Amino acid sequence: MGTALNLTFLVLLVATALLAVFARDLLAAVIIFSVYSLIMALMWQRLQAPDLALTEAAVGAGVTAVLFVVTIFKTRRREEEED
Amino acid sequence: MAQNIVAGVFCCIGTFFFLLGTTGLVRMPDVFTRLHPSTKCDTLGACSVIIGMAVYSGWSWDLLKLVLIACFVLLSSATCGHAIGRSALKRDIAYWRKDRKEVEDGHGA
Amino acid sequence: MKRVVSLLFIAALLALLLYVVANMPPMGDPENPTNSSEVIKRYLNEAEEETHCENVITGIILNYRGYDTMGEVTVIFCALAAVLAVLGREKRGKIYAYADRSRVPSSAIVRTMVAFLVPFIILFSIYTILHGEISPGGGFQGGAIVGGSMIIFTTIFGLYESSQRIPQKLRAPLEGSAVITFFIVGILGMAGGGNFLTYAWPNIATNLQPSVVTWLTILVEIGIGLGGAMVLISILFSMIREEEEIAVAP
Repeated sequence: MGTALNLTFLVLLVATALLAVFARDLLAAVIIFSVYSLIMALMWQRLQAPDLALTEAAVGAGVTAVLFVVTIFKTRRREEEED
Repeated sequence: MAQNIVAGVFCCIGTFFFLLGTTGLVRMPDVFTRLHPSTKCDTLGACSVIIGMAVYSGWSWDLLKLVLIACFVLLSSATCGHAIGRSALKRDIAYWRKDRKEVEDGHGA
Repeated sequence: MKRVVSLLFIAALLALLLYVVANMPPMGDPENPTNSSEVIKRYLNEAEEETHCENVITGIILNYRGYDTMGEVTVIFCALAAVLAVLGREKRGKIYAYADRSRVPSSAIVRTMVAFLVPFIILFSIYTILHGEISPGGGFQGGAIVGGSMIIFTTIFGLYESSQRIPQKLRAPLEGSAVITFFIVGILGMAGGGNFLTYAWPNIATNLQPSVVTWLTILVEIGIGLGGAMVLISILFSMIREEEEIAVAP
């Protein structure tokens, strides 16, 4: 049971990381990245590191995401096409 | 024993509504219809799960914390829904209509 | 082509990750490799007695590895210094009023709810900071939560209102408070007869030592919390200042 949950979290973690990298819409990438942080926080909690989970949830999902959003609104929302 | 069963039933109801809400979020065509399932799932699903956890924990200080969490979830998710809906309405994002082929996503509006 | 190669690489990494996780030692097993280390045995057995923290992690971070944490706090301060060097601090006289330039100004409901919720978030962060040695949490986490609450407040009410609440005059000196608190506690340890960052001063009576250790830990937590919060708020303000300075320019 625990292993299945861990594996689910890990697969979700990798999937969100991939989506955040490959997303063309940078705002979507930021939101997916904050989902990544949230899953990471759950993972820390499962590894019995609640201090780290709290930090990850507050910094990764909260503060960093907002700072990224502010940066996006100051620059451009779409990634430039490379080809 | 009965406590555990009741808690499990409430948690199952909560996850069921979360599933419904997420399905709606994926399947619905425009902002306003998407807002409908997503806010419902936040309030009803999260609150059912919290009720289940409250039943599971019994009379303790955790109960107070859970009640507070439920209050904040209710307040903040309702406000979120209001803010998104109002913003979409004021920006004149097109409604979805059955006869329209191309679904406007709200990006270009 | 590039995408295919990178996807293959990531897939290989994924397989490796899943393999490693599947072979992770079970949690809480006494046969785990971590339990054989001398340092960890000492931490697990003696930390609660020596650092007087029920939350052993806080004890380890602030007491055993206090010097390490002091370096980390310095890194956070350096991050702020780098951001300010690139973006510049907001100019105090220039922002007179908040001009909400978005097409949809925030409604009364959102304003009321934010004004209602932010005090609760700050209360929670104070709880996190002060309870750091008993329950999970501590200075870093509490500071980040205060920063998050001020971010919410600033996005709704604008830079003018929030810089009225936390004026630059107050914020700028407090940004370094984490490092300063650590330094003061370290010097106090030396004055008390121990080494730098000794919490249990050898020069005082043994029965006083536990309370001294506890209070010094709480002091360091408060310093880190204040410093972290102010650093995050300053970074946010310097990031959004330009827009509002332009908005109110004649």
